[in-house]
Amino acid sequence: MEGGIHAWNGLRAAGPPEAGMAYFEPAQKPEEMIALAWILEEGAFKFYREMGKRQKGPDEASLFRELSDDEEKHKISLFKIYQRRTGEDADPGFPRSLLSLESGTDYLEGGVVLNKALEWAQGQELKDILDFSVSLEVNAIDLYIKMERKVEGGEAKEVFQALSNQERNHLKRLTAALQKDW
Amino acid sequence: MGIMDYFKPVDTWSPDKVRQFLNEESAQDYNLVDVRTPKEYEQGHLPGAQLIPVGELESRLKELDRTKPTITY
Repeated sequence: MEGGIHAWNGLRAAGPPEAGMAYFEPAQKPEEMIALAWILEEGAFKFYREMGKRQKGPDEASLFRELSDDEEKHKISLFKIYQRRTGEDADPGFPRSLLSLESGTDYLEGGVVLNKALEWAQGQELKDILDFSVSLEVNAIDLYIKMERKVEGGEAKEVFQALSNQERNHLKRLTAALQKDW
Repeated sequence: MGIMDYFKPVDTWSPDKVRQFLNEESAQDYNLVDVRTPKEYEQGHLPGAQLIPVGELESRLKELDRTKPTITY
């Protein structure tokens, strides 16, 4: 690409090559990747839901509510694909038992602890929260593209492709919101 | 790899052309490779890019699907 990364004026993902998996090692098997994606969707769901509650304007509240509803649907898609892959061997402790994570801690993309993000968001303006949300979505797209490449099985690939497309739509909505005068 | 492989023409795409390509194609249909250092990659990379530092390219070429177009930066 001409000019390399410095010429790229689009959005960038950040974090190590294993797409956040370094924070949650070892997430290498497909089932572990699905579990990791579920946990990150859960974190995003809770983050957006809380942001929706905190917004005073109806349009802002509605934007975050709709985003949180979508992330909830993504969790359902991921759980279904996990169940289909494992059948009777499905672990009732999914997803945390697959990743040896502490119970009671929710995470966002890049290994950010949800409670820390919620605490940070307390004193922030809407623009800063939208900026942070954009970074979550870019990293989610990055994660799903990598999972799509790594995972075996057509159905799982299709689910990850659909999820990355849906996160792209979130990104469009958030970047449009950033340009709006609230 | 034969000597003539060193002389194969390589297109240089503009960032706009890369953006258009990535938006139109499925991630399954191309290799997107970041050849910089792991630290640079961590600081920011194109969504979906695979990290293969330039010094490791030769030994890790098998990780790329040679039937698909490859974009590097």
